[in-house]
Formats: sequence, C-alpha cells, structure tokens
Amino acid sequence: MSAPYYIPETDVPLPPTDAEVVSTACDYCVVACGYKVYRWPVAGNRNGGALADQNAFGEDFPVDPLGSWVAPNQHNIVLHNGEPHHVVIIPDKDTKAVNLDGDSSLRGGCIAQKCYNPQSPTRDRLRSPLMRIYGILQPVPWDFALDVAAEVAKYVIARHGEAAYGVKTFSYQYIENTYAITKFALRHINTPNFTFHDTPSDVSSTPGFRDAGFDNFGASYEDWRDAETLLICGTDPYETKTILWTQWIMPGIQNGQKTILMVPRRTAGVAYAEQNGGMWIDVTPGTDLLILNAIARVIVENDWQDKEWIEKWVNNKWGSNSGFGQGTRNTPWQWRTTWGMFQTKGYDDWKKWLLAQDEFTVENAAAIAGVDPAKILTAAEWMAKPRDDGSRPKTSIMIEKGLYWSNNTGSTQSVSALGIIVGAGGRPGQMISRAGGHQRGGIKGGGYPRNKSPMKLPGRRRRALDTDTWTIAGHTRMAHVIGTTWIQSMCGSQQLAAAFEDLTVGNPNQIRSYDKEDIVATLKKRVDSGGMVVINQDIYLVDPIGNRFADIIFPAATWGEETFMRANGERRLRLYPKFYDAPGDARPDWWIIAQLGKRMGFDGFDWQNSNEVAEEASRFSRGSRKDFHMVKIAAHREGMTLHEKLGSFGTDGIQGPVFMLDDGSLEGTKRLHDTTRELHPEGPAGLNMYNKKLTHFNSQTGRCNIQKSPWSLFSDYWEWMQPKGDELWCTSGRTNERWQSGFDDRRRPYIMQRWPENYVEIHPEDAAERGIESGDMVMAYSDRVPGLKETVLGIEGSDYSFSGQMAAGNVELSRAAVTGVAMVTRAIKKGVVYMDFLHTQQPANALEGRVVDWISGNYNYKMGVARVRKIGVSPYKENMRSMSFAPRDII
Amino acid sequence: MSDTQNMSVNQPPRQDGNGKKGAGKCMLSRREFLLTSGTAVATVMVVMNAGTADAEEVPGLVATYPRKLIAKLSELKVDEPIDFTYPDDGAYSDSIVVKLGTRAGGGIGPQTDVVAFNNTCTHQGGPLSGTYKGDTKSLGACPLHLSTYDLTRHGILISGQAYQSLPQVLLELDGDDIYAVGVFGLIFGRYDNLQG
Repeated sequence: MSAPYYIPETDVPLPPTDAEVVSTACDYCVVACGYKVYRWPVAGNRNGGALADQNAFGEDFPVDPLGSWVAPNQHNIVLHNGEPHHVVIIPDKDTKAVNLDGDSSLRGGCIAQKCYNPQSPTRDRLRSPLMRIYGILQPVPWDFALDVAAEVAKYVIARHGEAAYGVKTFSYQYIENTYAITKFALRHINTPNFTFHDTPSDVSSTPGFRDAGFDNFGASYEDWRDAETLLICGTDPYETKTILWTQWIMPGIQNGQKTILMVPRRTAGVAYAEQNGGMWIDVTPGTDLLILNAIARVIVENDWQDKEWIEKWVNNKWGSNSGFGQGTRNTPWQWRTTWGMFQTKGYDDWKKWLLAQDEFTVENAAAIAGVDPAKILTAAEWMAKPRDDGSRPKTSIMIEKGLYWSNNTGSTQSVSALGIIVGAGGRPGQMISRAGGHQRGGIKGGGYPRNKSPMKLPGRRRRALDTDTWTIAGHTRMAHVIGTTWIQSMCGSQQLAAAFEDLTVGNPNQIRSYDKEDIVATLKKRVDSGGMVVINQDIYLVDPIGNRFADIIFPAATWGEETFMRANGERRLRLYPKFYDAPGDARPDWWIIAQLGKRMGFDGFDWQNSNEVAEEASRFSRGSRKDFHMVKIAAHREGMTLHEKLGSFGTDGIQGPVFMLDDGSLEGTKRLHDTTRELHPEGPAGLNMYNKKLTHFNSQTGRCNIQKSPWSLFSDYWEWMQPKGDELWCTSGRTNERWQSGFDDRRRPYIMQRWPENYVEIHPEDAAERGIESGDMVMAYSDRVPGLKETVLGIEGSDYSFSGQMAAGNVELSRAAVTGVAMVTRAIKKGVVYMDFLHTQQPANALEGRVVDWISGNYNYKMGVARVRKIGVSPYKENMRSMSFAPRDII
Repeated sequence: MSDTQNMSVNQPPRQDGNGKKGAGKCMLSRREFLLTSGTAVATVMVVMNAGTADAEEVPGLVATYPRKLIAKLSELKVDEPIDFTYPDDGAYSDSIVVKLGTRAGGGIGPQTDVVAFNNTCTHQGGPLSGTYKGDTKSLGACPLHLSTYDLTRHGILISGQAYQSLPQVLLELDGDDIYAVGVFGLIFGRYDNLQG
C-alpha cells in the first residue's frame, strides 16, 4: 500500500532510438486505449536525448501539446528476461482507433505504475502460492498447494455434489483465462454454483435489451459521436469511460449534438454537456423508468415516433407471439412473458398500455423522480420531434449501471421501448447500447447447467443459482474465487462477510500440520462439518477474501506478464503482449486452472502457452459479437499463430465479428444490427458465419419486441426503500481517478494522495442539517438493509414481489455501517449521498439492499439508504496535502 | 532569505513510488545530491510555518533553480492571478502567482495564501491561462480534456486526466518581494525542468 503522499519527480528518462516498442492496449476500462511500451536495458545507461534523432519518439523536447511527453508516472523499471529494463508506457500517438489523438485517461495514462517493481508499492504482489498453516499464510511450492486444492476439490464434488463447489470469477480478464476457467467449472465440474464478479447468479445484466433484441455492444464509437441527440442513462462517460467521452462524444457535442445525461450527480461530463446546450436530468435513484416512460408518452402523444422504422422493424402481434415458437417454456423470453406483464401485440398495444398508466404523465413522473417536468418535454423534443422539413434527429441511447442496476428489468425494458420508438438501434448514429464497464474478455468453454440449479420458482423455469444466498445458507463447501473481492462487490456485503467468517476461520478444522495428507484430511473434515474451504487466485492479497478467509492462495500473472487477447466496448479485438517478467512464481490464471484440472482427472488441459488456449477458444467465439474464429483461420493459412496474426493489427485491432473476404483478407464489423449493411450476396463462404444480429435484431423474427415496463413490479420496493426520517438515498459508483477496487491505484502515491479513503458526497443543505462539513469523518449507516433469507419463496404470481416476500417472512433486515470522508458538494442531488462503490476498506455496497430483481435475478446495486452522522474530523480537513474538496463540475 | 526562521531542513523520507530514479546521469547525480545532502544550500525539505499548527513539510528542489523576482506581495489582489515565466522563458514556462484569500499548501505571506503554479495542463499540454476560478480556487477545466486542479492543495487534480499534480512553483518572500525559487513536479512537454 502507498502512503497518501506523493513527491513528484522533476525529470524522467527518455527511450533511446533503439528502444524496443511493444504495442498493447490498456488493462482497465472497456474503452481499451492503444498504448506503446518502450523498453530498454538499464545496464549501459543509454537513455534517449532531447533531440528528435536522439529518442525513440523522433520528437524534439519540449514536445508540442498532445505530443509524446513522458510524465514520471509513465516510467518504471521492470525485469525482462531477468534483466532490469526501463519501460515508458504512453498512449499510442499513431493509432487510428479508439484514442485517436494519442489521448488517455489518467488511469491508463499511469499504467506503467501497474508493473511490478519491488522498489515501488507494487512490492506486495503475490509471488508464491500461500497456504494458511497455523493461522498464517505461508509460502508453499506450487505442487504442494495444487495437490491439496485438487484433492479437497475432488472430495467435495464426490461427497457433497457439484453444487457444493462454487466458482466466483471475473468475466473479463482475458479470453484465455475466462475460457480455461469456464471449461473447468462449467464443462468439467459442471457446477451450477457459478457466477461472475458482478452478479450473484449467472444472469443477463440487461434483460430488457435481451427481450427487445438489442445486443449490449452493438454500437461503434463513431455512432456516439454522430448522433444528433444522445441520451446517456446511468453514467457520466467522462468519469468512467473517459476516452469514449473525450475522443468521440465531446467532438459530437462540439458539432452540435444535444447530449442528455440522466444521473443523480453533476460531474464534469454533465457540466460540459450543459454548458454546450445539453441537459442534466437529475433523477432520483430508482425512478429512471418513470422518466423514460414519461418521455415516451410525450413522444407518442405528439405523434413524433419514427413511424417508418416502427412499421418495418417492430414485431406485431404475430411476430411477438412467434416467441413461443422458440420451443418450450425454457426460454428467457417465454419465462418472462408468461407473467403477462411485458409482452405486447405490437406498437399500438404498447401505446395503449403506456397512455393508460397514470404514473407516466409528465407531472406524476416528474414529481416522483424529483425532476423538473420541463426537462421531460425537452428530452422528448430533442429525441423525436421531426424538423420542419420532416427529417428526424438521429438519436442514440447509451445505458450503463446507474440505470440497469437500479431497476434491472423495468429500466431496461422501458429504455428499450423508448429506443425503438425514436428509431435507435440499427443505423449509423442511431444506436442503443451499453457503454460498458470492464473490457469484454469472456469466452465460455462450457454451458451453465441450469437444470442443476435447485432454485426454481413454481410454474417457472429454473433460475441460475444465487451464489450469495446459497453460500450464506452453508451449501458452498469449497469456494474458488478468481480475481474478485466477491464480498465487497456484492450487496449487503457485511452479512455475506459474517457468513464467510463463520464457515472458514470460525470452523474448528484448521490446518495445523506440516504433512500434506494431514492437511487434506483436516480440510475434508472442515467441509464435512458444514464448513467451507476457500481457494483464491489473485495478483494481490485481497482483504478479507484472501487475507482472512482463504486457505490457499494462487499468485496470478496479469497484464504485460503473459500474452492475452480481449475486445473493447465496440467489439474491437487486440493483442496484449507480454513485455516483462511476472513477479516471482506468479502464473497466469489459465495455467493455474490447467494444473488443477489435470490433477482432478480432466482431459484437455495440456496447453503449453496462452496462444494454444486462444486457438482452442476461437471456435467457441463463433456467432458471438467478438467472433474471432476467422482470425485463426487466416493466421494458419499464413503460417502464423492466432496471437501473431491479431498482434499484426497493432493497436487498431479488428472489430468482431470478423469475416474472411474472397481474397483471404479479414473484415471486421462496425456495428451490429446494421440495417444498412450488405453482406456477401452469395452468403457466407468457407467457415464464415452469418447470423441474424449482423443485419437484424436478436429476436425470434429479427425485428424488435416492444415491451411494457410496469412500475408496479418495482414500486413497492422503491417505496419501502425510500428514505424515512433523516435517511438519505445512498447510492454508489466509480470515480474517474480510481479504477475498480483500486487494486493498482492503492499502490500509486499520486492516486492515494487524491483519494486516500472512501468519501461521502452530500448536498450542502443535507450537510448543514447534520452539522457536517467537508473533511469531516462521517458514518453512513442503516438498520434496514434488506436481504433475502432463502431464494424467492412463493406460490402465486403476486408472491414474487418485495411485499410478497416481506409477507412470507423471507426478508431479513440487517445493519451496516461504513465510514467515509464527507465531501459537501453542489454537484449532487439533494437527498442523495454517493460513495465509491468498491473501496475495499469502506465498502459502500454494505448499505445496498441484498434483494434480487424478481424477474432477472440480478441485484439492484444502486438502491440503498443511509443515515449520515459526523463522527469526527479526518486528517484531510486541515492537512492541505491530500484529497480535494472542490466540486467535480468545474468547467 | 527573510523567512529562514520559519524554515528548517530535514532529510526527506524515502516515499513509496519514488524508489526508482531518473536515469540520465546528470539528472541522477543532481537528485542524489539533493536527496543526500543536508546543507542549507541544497534545501530539500522545507517546513513551511514551522512551529505553528500549520507546519508541514514541502519537498523543494530549490538549489538548482534560479531565484527570480515575480511580484510584490502588496500588489496582489485576491483572485487576480499575475502571469510570469519560470524557470526560464522557454516552452511551457508560463506560470501564474495568485493570492487565494484562503490558506493553501505551500502558500506564503501572512495568510499563507499566495501560491504559484505552472500554467500548462499535465495531461496533454492544454493551456490553462484564463481558467482560474475564484469560487473554487481552481485552475481548469483544461480546454482539451477538462482536467481541473485545486490550488489550495499543491495543485492536486480535482477531476480529470492529468498524469500528475500541476507543477507548483516554490516561492520565497523577501520583504514585499516574491521570488520564485523552484518547481515541484515535471512541467509538461519537458523531460527535465531545467533542460527543456
């Protein structure tokens, strides 16, 4: 960890002309900017000079604005082939994709500091497997740790069943790793006790998109730029996807785009949009659906909807019903619509429903959402009102977690319907997509065994197993946790932490032996006594999952330490080559999984390198949005490996799905659902694969389903949750300067100086009422954090609601308390406080309700309340060295 | 120096993240010199306002920078920045000195509210001139990518993309004369503050 104190350097070494150059992309957010790594040996002291012919950039220093400047945070010293090397890592100034000006955020911009350097705060990288012996995590050899883990795993599966083996893993951290992990967990162990880092069960994040027929990542970055009106729901991309904002949306705004952001905070992107003719819809948490449906209502009342588009691309009664033709009740579409709550007979039926709901009048929606009604009218005009010449504004809609983690099913259904009626979805500048969080690095090497999930609602299909409820109930006997904090990143997390403690360190069977057989026997006794064994793969020791609860830790190698592939938020595939030595004995996740798999008797884990994993994974990408199978085919034709071929595209990469043209060259896909695209007239040749999503939508007919989005499915929870007494809405999210749990940022003095602790943004009026000033230490706490005791209980349809579950006694109210530093700011809506969502020391998610969405099974992470009380003064109030309490909306 | 009584000299602590060194030979030796020498000439840790509740250590690489008269304390008005160039007249030397009217890290004067900063964004070199905001005591937003800096807190980033804090120009007060004596942080565009 780093102290919150930063001494800036005043000089930096420049790469010499013969420095080696490695093209890669950033490890962090979904945008994945292109970078260049300049590497040269420390030995010899041959640094570059200030003149163009003396350095690798070919630039005279001082460089021009946007030039190849090297900030001291962009330099590091690493081991490469065992020898110390300088690395300078700066955004690629020559790239033709993504970060066009050679731009970058400060997260990626300082990525050189991610590299392991024992003289920097990265010195606590995990370098050796660890095993908790006599209560201490002690280094052990790989074989020793793997043998014990595999023996116990085999035993747990044989004795307690596959569902006792839980795998909680990142979904994004490179294609090679996710493929190996899912092959191991889903294909071989075949456990339903499996999910990804951001959800309690393996379910869709955007059920409404899925039902409407929208791919999550259909848009290309140029579509966000080219939209004339852009509605952004639940994120400020400047804060969370910086380069998507600075290189694509900002130029759009400068070109006259009307940009609407619907979020409860006024951060820099919001302020910039407002200053340039855009609009902030300061929505109250959880009420997005009301605003979206009110906008839709204004549009249809004025007859501004895109009639031609609707006529051509929206399912009528017969099209909607043909969903039943998908087969039995076991389709997500069918499962949702049997509730009779969503399906329509087409546009007119949807319109009739919309106009019949009183809560969607402008006045009513604005009142509940706490928004000026005029903003709803303005949004409707900007999005859909035809111009005098009859032409329509090109409108796009971007969504992200503030929207879909507030009312998961309802918000995504309502935004889909709004997108459909304004003609967004299948044309240049007219798209509806997610913006994204992490990069897209998931390939499934096995299918989720839904039929093994014990969680089933009467009369409905089985639902993916809720791993949190399952684990709290004691059914997980071995938890295999890969690259996620698990606990702090879930809702009601202090309840989850208590269960982990009871099941692991609270169990009497602890390793107190030097003997492998004894150790295995002890852990078997633990699981037989109702306890749980935890194994954890990560790059740092994470508290508490690794530090306090894990029995075995496997040290992972990561970005730059192994060669990997991944796609970004416009499906752009790039190679991320290894350019330095992993610390100590750390190994990539695919290798760790392969060693476990072999020991557990599984076949197909004999890979020698990451390219072999990628080449095996390629056929599992076929038909997906990042289909790269043809890259492998082309590579082999040309005598290359898949990795070599993808690397040849450099930072420009290629957008999936990838096709081979008649001349053997490769062609990417700018956007999905592209109704303007003409595919090869004779159809796909060779191994090329065309599917519906290329030129149509992901529905049964290829047209969109326009669906209802009733407020009543969520309103009882919202009303129960609504602040009572002196409570405030407590929501959370990212802040620009910090990535995720801060696993790297906590080791950067520059970032620790800015954000030494979690913070509580609070409106000046709310703060004054509580006697709180900026810099005060506050406690955000609640004695009503709801959590489900069991999976959803009920018989009748009406039981499946928050009030139904309350009546059935299935909701437990627990307490939570999280400290933070008060930031009194004009840049947040009154009545709402906001915290960093995943500060591992001060986890805001502890305050968010651990109640899954009734329809989707996902959490609504952004929904919580807290009382806020001053408990003292933080050191940052008077010390002028760390933190800043200035507002984030200065333009 | 008129305020020697308020300054004391310490060995700087080795901080996390600064274990690596600049590799250019002359830069390295200068830094080594500064880090190991405890003489008054090569002042490396300056305790501002020593003996008061506001005492804090500010590392300052002051010995090798020119001592340049930039303004008169009596002529500064709150929230009205004055331009100057430092440490030379070359590229990206444009700087401002401003009386914030509120206590600031590294501030001088009776209210410790006079500070000076380089005027080029440390993200991609955008010009920050004319972006001073009195209500928030900030510079920015940078016209290129919207970074903003807190002048009360050593130029720390408020919101944005900069790769480091805004370089702070270290000041000395001699009677009514304000001298620039050093820079804290690398100026955009340069690889060494003193070598361009």
